[in-house]
Amino acid sequence: MTAQPAPTSDRAPASAACWSCSGTLDRDGLFCESCGALQPPRIVDHFVRFGLPAAFDIAIPALDRRYFELQRRMHPDRFAARLPKEREYSLQHAANLNDAFQTLKAPVRRAEYLLALKGRPMRGSGQETVDDEEILVHAMAMREALAEANTPAAADAVVADACAQFERVTKDLAAAFAANDLAAAARQTLRLKYLDKFVEDARERRRP
Amino acid sequence: MAYGEKLIDHYENPRNIGSMDKHATDVGTGLVGAPACGDVMKLQIKVSSEGIIEDAKFKTFGCGSAIASSSLVTEWVKGKTLDEAEGIKNTQIAQHLALPPVKIHCSVLAEDAIKAAIADYRKKSGKAQNVQTASEPATVAAQ
Repeated sequence: MTAQPAPTSDRAPASAACWSCSGTLDRDGLFCESCGALQPPRIVDHFVRFGLPAAFDIAIPALDRRYFELQRRMHPDRFAARLPKEREYSLQHAANLNDAFQTLKAPVRRAEYLLALKGRPMRGSGQETVDDEEILVHAMAMREALAEANTPAAADAVVADACAQFERVTKDLAAAFAANDLAAAARQTLRLKYLDKFVEDARERRRP
Repeated sequence: MAYGEKLIDHYENPRNIGSMDKHATDVGTGLVGAPACGDVMKLQIKVSSEGIIEDAKFKTFGCGSAIASSSLVTEWVKGKTLDEAEGIKNTQIAQHLALPPVKIHCSVLAEDAIKAAIADYRKKSGKAQNVQTASEPATVAAQ
């Protein structure tokens, strides 16, 4: 689920020669300026793929804009009449873009990805168990509150409270990343992950 | 996906649901979680002065396999010594409940929970003994 981010040394721009005609590539390294051929995807981290700084606090509108622009330019339909190699590259580009976008768009996944990128993967990213007492006691109290809510309005209030907590923890997490306090960031990410799952499960249950 | 009979039985009729006083000196509490699923599991044991687990309770928020795994463990540990209970492996739990591969981590959670409960009890009882021995010289000094 959590793809290992490429090492930071790969953040350097790709070598610039077209695979087809050895011509010069455009600024993004996506197309050849001479023959227009689509280039193979580079091994870069998700932030580089969208031209964003490797930070938690990214501008989501910029991410959306860049994603839709690239997705349009790389779309396999545009390469139906091109060389087989370009068709293959466009598929790879589209898959990479989707993966990168899904990872960066969601705060929890973005935080987990960034922690791994900074060399401090969070415990509990995969199937490992955690024993952070404060966070777990809190998670259990929220689950109990939801289980005890016996009217739809009471359940909605519990969920609304969880959403408010989610906003607060997201701010704390951004501050921890901004201060490069990775231990604090990992802890807030764990907190956020529990809140995220809680809200998801609670909404799932409310669905008729 | 077909779940085993034992799993469904433990899920539908979970044994030993409840809580004990976590501050009591003869109670050990293990609290563990699997963030990927949002699971939280609390497992508590009450230990006799002879070191036998007299009672066990659990409270789990999670999927059916997590609930069944913790229910089974509370049943298994009763009457066991701490060392015996510590020897319970997640593979035994998974095998007994016939957990599908994607649910193996639920049995890991139950193993971690019982180990944490035992560690908590040992830490507390060790501390209680230390307090006793530490207070002796103090009493002597007071005389």
